[in-house]
Amino acid sequence: MRAFAYSRPASLDEALALLGASARPLAGGTDLLTLMKADLLAPERLVAIAPLLPSGIARDAEGVTIGAATTLADIERDPTLAQRFTALGQAAGVAATPQLRNMATLGGNLLQRPRCWYFRNRLAQCWLKGGTACHAREGENRQHALFGGSGCVAVHPSDLAPALLAFGASARVRGAHGERIVPLEEFFSLPTGERRSETRLRDGELVLQVSMPSYPEETRSLYLKEMDRRAFAFALASVAAVVRVSARQRIGHVRLVLGGVAPIPWRAHGAERVLLGEEADERLIEAAADAAAEGAVPLKGNAFKLPLLKALARRALRSLLL
Amino acid sequence: MKRIEGPEKVTGRAHYACDVRLPGQLYARVLRSPLPHARITRIDAARAERLAGVHAVLSSANAPDISWYEESRLFDRTLRFIGDELAAVAGESEEIAEDALRLIEVDYEALPCAVGLEDGVRGKPQLQRRGDIDNGLREAEVVVDAVYTTQTALHNALEPHGCTAHWEDDSLVLHESTQGIFAVRDEVAEKLGMPKERVRVITQHMGGGFGAKQIAWKHSVIAALLAKRAGRPVQLMLEREAENLAVGNRNATRQRVRLGAKRDGTLCAIDVHILVQSGAYLVGGEDSDVIGAYQTLYRCPHLRAEQVGVRTNTGPAVAFRAPGHAEAIFALESAMDELSRALAMDPIELRLRNYATEDQTKGKPYTSVDSLRRCYGQVKAAFDWPERRMGQGSKKRGIGFAAHDWAGGGGWPPAEARVEVADGAARVVTATQDIGTGTGTALCQIAADELGLPAERVSIVLGDTREGLYSPTSAGSATLATLGPAVRMAAAKAKKSGRGKGSRVKNPKDKSIRTCGAQCVEVEVDTETGEVRVLRVAAAHDCGRVINPVLVESQVIGGITQGLGYALSEERMVDACGLVLNASLEEYKVQTAADGPQLVNATQSMPDWEANATGAKGIGEPPLIPTAAAVANAIFDAIGVRVRDLPCKRERLIG
Repeated sequence: MRAFAYSRPASLDEALALLGASARPLAGGTDLLTLMKADLLAPERLVAIAPLLPSGIARDAEGVTIGAATTLADIERDPTLAQRFTALGQAAGVAATPQLRNMATLGGNLLQRPRCWYFRNRLAQCWLKGGTACHAREGENRQHALFGGSGCVAVHPSDLAPALLAFGASARVRGAHGERIVPLEEFFSLPTGERRSETRLRDGELVLQVSMPSYPEETRSLYLKEMDRRAFAFALASVAAVVRVSARQRIGHVRLVLGGVAPIPWRAHGAERVLLGEEADERLIEAAADAAAEGAVPLKGNAFKLPLLKALARRALRSLLL
Repeated sequence: MKRIEGPEKVTGRAHYACDVRLPGQLYARVLRSPLPHARITRIDAARAERLAGVHAVLSSANAPDISWYEESRLFDRTLRFIGDELAAVAGESEEIAEDALRLIEVDYEALPCAVGLEDGVRGKPQLQRRGDIDNGLREAEVVVDAVYTTQTALHNALEPHGCTAHWEDDSLVLHESTQGIFAVRDEVAEKLGMPKERVRVITQHMGGGFGAKQIAWKHSVIAALLAKRAGRPVQLMLEREAENLAVGNRNATRQRVRLGAKRDGTLCAIDVHILVQSGAYLVGGEDSDVIGAYQTLYRCPHLRAEQVGVRTNTGPAVAFRAPGHAEAIFALESAMDELSRALAMDPIELRLRNYATEDQTKGKPYTSVDSLRRCYGQVKAAFDWPERRMGQGSKKRGIGFAAHDWAGGGGWPPAEARVEVADGAARVVTATQDIGTGTGTALCQIAADELGLPAERVSIVLGDTREGLYSPTSAGSATLATLGPAVRMAAAKAKKSGRGKGSRVKNPKDKSIRTCGAQCVEVEVDTETGEVRVLRVAAAHDCGRVINPVLVESQVIGGITQGLGYALSEERMVDACGLVLNASLEEYKVQTAADGPQLVNATQSMPDWEANATGAKGIGEPPLIPTAAAVANAIFDAIGVRVRDLPCKRERLIG
């Protein structure tokens, strides 16, 4: 790792004044330090923000707010989340390893960079790192994207992001010029030629907290994840589902978000349309699972993700609706 | 008895190669080729040399001209794989050394490369024949004819390769993580043009080797040269990425197998043609006799077995826990399963009709004629074969069986040990190294047994060439069967006179020694997601007399775990440009504790007194060998899909 300066500012404002393209915020460090060790990032300064950021899980009538410095382990163990935002607690529990979950923070989890093996390899100057071509598109792409892969076919690695998106979460973001609230659906955005990153967060901005609105008690949710081994692996595909069945047995609310299949968490709008307002049965769920896979563009090595993703969608919906 | 080195390890007092701290010690890093095949047209390290904190820089521009890997050099101007060593720096910290590497300017002329097994340059075939294969195939009433492939696997020992080198006048001391302190001593001395008495190699503990540490690699000589140049001790530990690029792997294979049998299951023909991926260099420690198991496991009058090495621009292969055999047994035992299906015969029954009791390559009976048959029986009983539970919905269950033999485990001379007794306590002195299996504990037990002392009254000295008691490399599952008899002899002498030296006597002339075993596996395959869960594994292996059941079980657990990784999740990924895509423990997926099945170790003590005076044989490698075939056979039993390519990836099982 290259040498860097280390700052421990006393206040958030002081931290924000230090941050910029060459001064990066350090919280849990589980991804940042990995990127630095691989020489993919070489910031001149790290700014310690963990003690300054909001931490902890607060619930009120409006919903739940989680501080950006809250660890994945805390999210995994929180009884309120387990009961009312089940998919989020489950997602935290199947991410990474217990050791990483003790260090990794919510903010860092949303901002972690893709694990694409070309992106992570110093010798490959891929499109996401500013190069001209996505190496994975024609190369080894077993782990890569089915959707949204126009510039880059890496998949977003977060388990929490699909669950949070499914709960309609928003991020409170602060930069040197003030705060803004960004729905996660806008926060995550396919990288473009001008912005080779998976979020709209600007250099020098910090995620302070993430809020989810409150849901009626009968709302149910689930997170399912498939991996190459049973721990310490990123999702080959995952599904976060949130549903509410109305009094007349109709599906009154549904959100289905897919992980591990697109450069950002991918909302399955088509599947939601199939389900909304209908009475659930096997045929409807089958149709929704098919709709979840619509628009997929499989690559040479990842076609198996299509049946996999459908199976997960089917299972999640069956478990919640039947 | 518990491991004698256990308390040191769990309290952190055990010192490994990277724990050495000497006054003025420097840290080294190696610059590696970014191209799969290239010629260096210019190398300029001047800026690196000027960096503050840098004490020595070596490259082809200034290093002594030392030959390495066949026709190549220590720092060759031609680079043959991504990761090939091209320069090295010693500085006051690892970070300074890394900074210096980035200041070395290199121009390359790219050369054409071959990456895949099918694309590489084929070498001279090795051919073994017995009987007349054409006759054998003509006599056959049932023939299985299939092509199997096995992947390149990476050792990924927890402790990477590395050493700390320092000079005491004209003598070199190497604290090395190695399976063979004498092998490293002799090779380093030869490369440096020194008498071997002036090289001392020390390995007190090591965090795994699995075969990849059975030879001297370039880093030891590089560290010695840097230390000489800097006039200070130099520690050179490989980073995980380098570990996975440059210091060995299990060779990929492609095996076309034809088995011919009579209707009653009797084998009459084994015909196999095998490609073996050697990588960029022959490093001299491959020991990958893939055709070996085909010649020995089953009694068969007609055999043709051919093996061809293939050179590619990828990291070189080296021995990996049962080299050659693990690859061969996957294909042979899968083919035997296919044959049992074709014959509608129980897979164990088919083996019972064919297992060999004599070494057909030497025409000699085995010392333990009956042990393979006994292993079949033990594992069958422990697993309750062919009982299986029912799956539910898309989750289908199946059971699989595979057996193996292994030419190692018997040990051989030379090896020496000394035992000293005083005040009711004994000290065993050897210069073997403990690869991590608990060799020291077992040797103490052997001495204690002979001396009639409690084992806790016996201590051991090992891991230092200065002791002068020669001991071979810990390889071939042979350490205990090699050293044990020497220790026993030394202890017998010491019992009389307080001090005795023992040496390993020869193995029997008229018999052949082998180890062998069998495993049963139950899997559950989810046909909607392709996920394979291994539910149960039962294992029975012939390791002769069990000296220490806990140590044996540890090897069984470790070998099966590694075997499951080989079966299901481990595979070095290399793209068409020779780039290794998963040279990290995050992306190269070894099995985790969460993946572990219910494991029944049905290994029983079967003293092999004809093999040696301790009755014990090795168990280090064998438990890995049959696991992958047993898993693939169980997958077929579950869903009717024959996986002939390792690892068994879910994309082949889905839908």
